[in-house]
This record gives sequence, structure tokens and C-alpha cells, in this order.
Amino acid sequence: MSTTADTPRTATAADAADRLADEFVSQGFGPFYSTPCGILSRLLNALESGPGLLTVPREDNAVGMAAGAVLAGRNPVVLMQNSGLGQSINAIASLVTPYRLAMLFVISLRGVHPDPTQENQLMGRLTGPMLDGLEVATATLDSSGDLGAQVSWAASVVRQRRRPAALLIPPDAFGWRP
Amino acid sequence: MNKTEAIRAILEVSTDEPTVFTTGYASRIGCGLADRPNHFYMIGSMGLASSIGIGIAQQTGRPTIVVDGDGSLLMNPVALVAAGELDSLPLVHLVLDDGLYASTGGQVVPSRQADIAALARACGYQRVHEVDNVEAIRALLTEELVSCPSPVFVRCLLYGPDEPIPGRVEFDLDAHAVRFGESIRERTSSAS
Repeated sequence: MSTTADTPRTATAADAADRLADEFVSQGFGPFYSTPCGILSRLLNALESGPGLLTVPREDNAVGMAAGAVLAGRNPVVLMQNSGLGQSINAIASLVTPYRLAMLFVISLRGVHPDPTQENQLMGRLTGPMLDGLEVATATLDSSGDLGAQVSWAASVVRQRRRPAALLIPPDAFGWRP
Repeated sequence: MNKTEAIRAILEVSTDEPTVFTTGYASRIGCGLADRPNHFYMIGSMGLASSIGIGIAQQTGRPTIVVDGDGSLLMNPVALVAAGELDSLPLVHLVLDDGLYASTGGQVVPSRQADIAALARACGYQRVHEVDNVEAIRALLTEELVSCPSPVFVRCLLYGPDEPIPGRVEFDLDAHAVRFGESIRERTSSAS
């Protein structure tokens, strides 16, 4: 959330997180499952104070719960850090994709510029190729672009084509700094 | 009570409730005894049956049965924490505990020192039962399916040789998920 101490840049970033959360809701997405992530924190706050957010201790459990929500007729979103994508590989490969339980992933890109942390570099490079291999359609968020159009893309993949989609979140999308 | 007898007892008492079977013999036996549209056979993703059940129970508000195993529960016990956190979740979580990874050749589950019923209680399940006969399964399930106000955990102790196990579940998985989804949504909307 923005405060008076925020610079104009971070105020804009917080605003982007709020608007993205609003787009998810207005375009029919929900419920929202997440594991914690600093890059996503503004978005998680916006979801928590808006439609509601269920924090799940581990990412593959969140994917499993979202699979249940798909079966119940909902359009769930699973928000995670890309490190958690590693935990989720088998859940996507043996549950989401073969049963065609289309859902939206929102995945932050640790280890991608401007995040220099050593422990995240390899997963940063693997995130795109792993999602391609899992047959998950991907797009990288442009937080200063048309957020409605980017969520519409996700909605068309998930709801019309019944395929999983991932919206990738660059480290600085919502004002995070290393 | 062997695994087939336990699942037969579950199917005798349940009717159209969403029911998730874990991977391995549980799915094969459930499908072989009575293949109903409200059955979801999770034949991959070992460890996630109860997570799927949590999602269904939360989004439909209907008592949802999970037929889990001790090996698959221990593959991902994090789901116990997630279920225990949701104190009004109508989840009926049955764990068929034979101490073995039966479908992979009968390796012993390394849980002789672990008390999974105590674990469930510690994670927040408000009713935790341990049963060793089919009459007890039928009685508990009959009661819980009428009104399940919070997650319930039933450890079903198995012993003795099993009957011949049916073949693999070979449905088209996309079609299987569609059939299950239509079944539970139809009954959810007519009930509300």
C-alpha cells in the first residue's frame, strides 16, 4: 500500500498492484491462493484487502487446492515466487496439464534483473523454459502498460482455450528493490 | 479389514458426495467397485488428494470425501496444516493405513514412530478417529455426511491380505475431470 513516504515511483507501483487485483476480480478470476513473496507483496496486500486471499504453506498444495476450485467451476489464481515453481512441477505435470484443469499462475521472477541474489539466478533462468516444457502459456507483466488487456489475455487462455497460463512478474514491477 | 473392504464400506454409505481417491490402489479399487460420476481418481500427483479435496469442499460447501493413504499423506503432510486452518471446512479425510506402499511393491512406509492421528489433531482437525472395522467406518461416515461442520480425520487401520486389485484407471483424464466437475456442480447448484 502506498504511504506518504513513498516516492512517486513506488506510489505508481502500488497503484499498479491495486489495479491488477481489480482487473483479476472484474474479469472473473478467483479464488486466490498464494505463498509469500516480497516482489508480490503489494499485489498480495491488494488481494487480501479486496476479494480475499488464502495463504497456503507450500506451492504444490496451493496448486492442488486450485485444482479442486477448477473442478467446482471457479477460475482460481495461484500466486507464487518462481522458487515455488520448483515445488509445483509434478503438480502441474501430472494433475493440471493431463486433467486439463486450467488455472492462472502469477509467478514472480526472482533471479532476473534487477535481482542480483546468487541463490535465485538459476531458477531465474529456468522459469521460462520450465513453463514452456509444462505447456503453460506465459506472458511477462508490463506494469506500466494496459493491465486490462494483459488480464484479458490470461482470461482467454484459461477460460476459452482451457489451458493454464502464467503471468510472470519482474522484480521491480510493483516497486520491489533488492 | 483390508483396503477393498474399507473402500466398499465408504461406498456403501456415501452417495453423490464429491469423492477424491488418491493414486495407486485406492483409485483402482474405488473405480472397480463402483465408478460413479462424483468420483475423482487422482492417478498422478501423489500427496495432493486432500489438497484437491480442500479446494472442492471450500468452493462447493458440500461434505467432500478424500480417500487417502498413509504413504500418500506422508508424501505431503503440509495439507493437514492447510485443512486444519480452515475451521468450517466440510472435509471428511479418510486415511487407509496399511503401513505399505502397496502399488509400488509393498515397501514399508517409514512411519512406525509417527502418529498420524495425533499429527492431524495437532494441525487443527477437530474430530480425529481411529477405526479398525467396517462397521465403525459406516457409522462415522453416516454421521459426518449429514453435517460435517469442520475437518474430520479418520485413520482406518488395515490388516490382512487384500482381494485381487482391479486394473489401472485408464480413462481419458480430461474427460474424467469434465465428468466429475459437471456432476458436483449440478448437485451443488440444485442443493443451494
